[in-house]
Amino acid sequence: MDVELSDQQRELAAGAREFLSEQCPPSRVRTAWDEGHDPRLWSQLAEVGFLGVVVPEEHGGLGLGDLDLAVLLEEAGRVALPVPLLETAVAALTLLDAGSPEQCKRWLPGIAAGEVVATIGLPGQSLVVAAPDADLLVLARDGGLHAVEADRCELTPQPAFDASRRLATVSVDTGPDTSLTDDPAKLARFADRAAVAAAATLVGIAAHLVRESVAYVAQRRQFGRPIGSFQAIKYRLADAHLAVEFARPLTWVAAHQVGVSDAGDPEASAAASAAKVAASTAQATANEHALQCHGGIGFTWEHDLQMWLKRGKALELAYGTPAAHRARIADDLFTGTGSTR
Amino acid sequence: MDLTYTATEHEFRAEVRDWLAANTPTEVLPPIYTAAGVAAHRVWERTMFDAGYSALHWPREHGGGGAGLIEQAIFGEEYLRAGAPMRLNRLALGLAGPTVIQFGTDEQRRQWLPAMLSCDDLWCQGFSEPEAGSDLAGLRTRAERDGDDFVLNGQKTWTSMSAFANWMFAMVRSDPDSSRHRSITFIMVPMDTPGIELRPIRQLHGEPGFAEVFFTDVRVSATNVIGEVGEGWSVAMATLGFERGTGLGDHVRFARDVADLVELARRAGVADDPVVRDEIAARWVEVQQFRRHMQRTATRLAAGGTIGPEASMTKLFWSEMEARIFETALKILGPLAELADDAPDSLADRGFHRRYWHSRASRIFAGTSEVQRNIISERVLGLPREPRWTSS
Repeated sequence: MDVELSDQQRELAAGAREFLSEQCPPSRVRTAWDEGHDPRLWSQLAEVGFLGVVVPEEHGGLGLGDLDLAVLLEEAGRVALPVPLLETAVAALTLLDAGSPEQCKRWLPGIAAGEVVATIGLPGQSLVVAAPDADLLVLARDGGLHAVEADRCELTPQPAFDASRRLATVSVDTGPDTSLTDDPAKLARFADRAAVAAAATLVGIAAHLVRESVAYVAQRRQFGRPIGSFQAIKYRLADAHLAVEFARPLTWVAAHQVGVSDAGDPEASAAASAAKVAASTAQATANEHALQCHGGIGFTWEHDLQMWLKRGKALELAYGTPAAHRARIADDLFTGTGSTR
Repeated sequence: MDLTYTATEHEFRAEVRDWLAANTPTEVLPPIYTAAGVAAHRVWERTMFDAGYSALHWPREHGGGGAGLIEQAIFGEEYLRAGAPMRLNRLALGLAGPTVIQFGTDEQRRQWLPAMLSCDDLWCQGFSEPEAGSDLAGLRTRAERDGDDFVLNGQKTWTSMSAFANWMFAMVRSDPDSSRHRSITFIMVPMDTPGIELRPIRQLHGEPGFAEVFFTDVRVSATNVIGEVGEGWSVAMATLGFERGTGLGDHVRFARDVADLVELARRAGVADDPVVRDEIAARWVEVQQFRRHMQRTATRLAAGGTIGPEASMTKLFWSEMEARIFETALKILGPLAELADDAPDSLADRGFHRRYWHSRASRIFAGTSEVQRNIISERVLGLPREPRWTSS
């Protein structure tokens, strides 16, 4: 029994934090809002191996697993990374899980090399992130999983409050040639992976919001003292920090379980839903308190806080709303299949 | 990350489970605030002692089980699963004992530790006072040196088990002229010393068990001081640290409480109510968060790490979680929630109301949620301290 990151995973986190804070400062997130997909940032991520973190070494990746990805995505969340690392990684994991050797060979080396941008669409999900930039779309459609090339898709762009999301609704003609699998267990694992990846990113976003707020309230003075010395402020940040710290281990465990369990394992699914609920809730808490602690300055376009506030809100509700994940958990609790025992 | 147990750990779990299945009393023991309850729980503690299970977390050289944290967690889980009785001498085994082990002399260890393990001595805690609750360092009970003794005058309060305890571990003010924190001494007080008077306090849910303890010229030998005179504050903080390190395996209790919510919803005919289902699922998620947090804490401690002020996060999380679980239960019961457990139309389990109100107390004892938030914000997040009013 060991619920902790390995030394290698800690090094990955530290390396990613250093690299991303250097290469992806808030100014670069802002640029992506105006100019769209940032191919140079994408190449840089490929060069350091981040795009191929879960791609097997034979296809040019690092060959790491779901937990390693979760560690990396937390760091991506901390910088509000404006490119679809989450979606591309989940697409890669899903190709590995459900694709034929030919399909893997066709796409995975390009993903690891940064030549392919991939994205995902869950069952019932009409909005697809980074759809205009994607070369490959892994979509749950017509009861199955499909790997669809961009030129077979018709997009309707849907501008969003976080411009770097680059959302679109996608209509597509699926066929036997696009099919990955019809196995419901693998469809379930696809959705579980997206939920866990979102949870890991949300933990990073929330952690950043707490950190920025702590720094701000320690130096902002009113009534002759730092506002961070007021309990009304302190309690908000204590609660937000608590929520983040108690979401992280559950997210790690869910990532680990989704990776090592059989596809569709109900215990792993329950853990994935729990992680998404916990991380979304932590993010919502941090989001609310961060803006309150910043006050008026946080409500300006100039202040960088908005990039995390908006990304956080978007991801909180994407890849399964907390309510939808709770409904799934409740079904399990009330039918007593044992996975939530 | 590894969620599996070793073969040895599986064996240990099986051994504990078998032993508990064979030895756990089948009938519910009388409550520990009655003489009959104390007697019955003593018998149970003796059974545990004879099997070597009374203090798994103590080092072997002091009579404990010398168990690692994973084993302690396994034992805690199985103990709760078996529905075994509450631990009678929790304050001795969890707080006083580890304090004596860390700060006591060999003589003091010999004097107190064996009788804690066997439950021949029962212990109570003398920290809180009427004017020293959250502000513990404001305590006023005086201890004046007189020859080989200290003479105690003052009052403690919220003292559970004091009616049956024969020892109290107490914080007293030994030097009224020194600073708040530098003038406190940690001392062991025999409860049969002349000059000690108890006044019982009935709790909000109707149970006795608490008392005020008054000291009038109570003579206690200076050899009962733990650590140095005037260094009692740091000893006491270590004592409270032992308390905050426990709780491994407690997720089992909370998971059962959530399973009870599911049953309660069925009984109340609201199992299909989406609001009820949403709330119960939210509680289940929180229990999973607590469980994984505790496993991570155990992993860190087992690797030689320590927990400092982060312990406040554990206390804040579980006590708020517990309160929410029972609030959800009340919502499920709706207008029937106010019925006494034995009312003809009550849907609640026996003891439900006691547990509901107890969950409200959890936010207050061992440091209120507000005190924990102060600690988290100032000592974990490093926010500036609240300016203090200096009292007289």
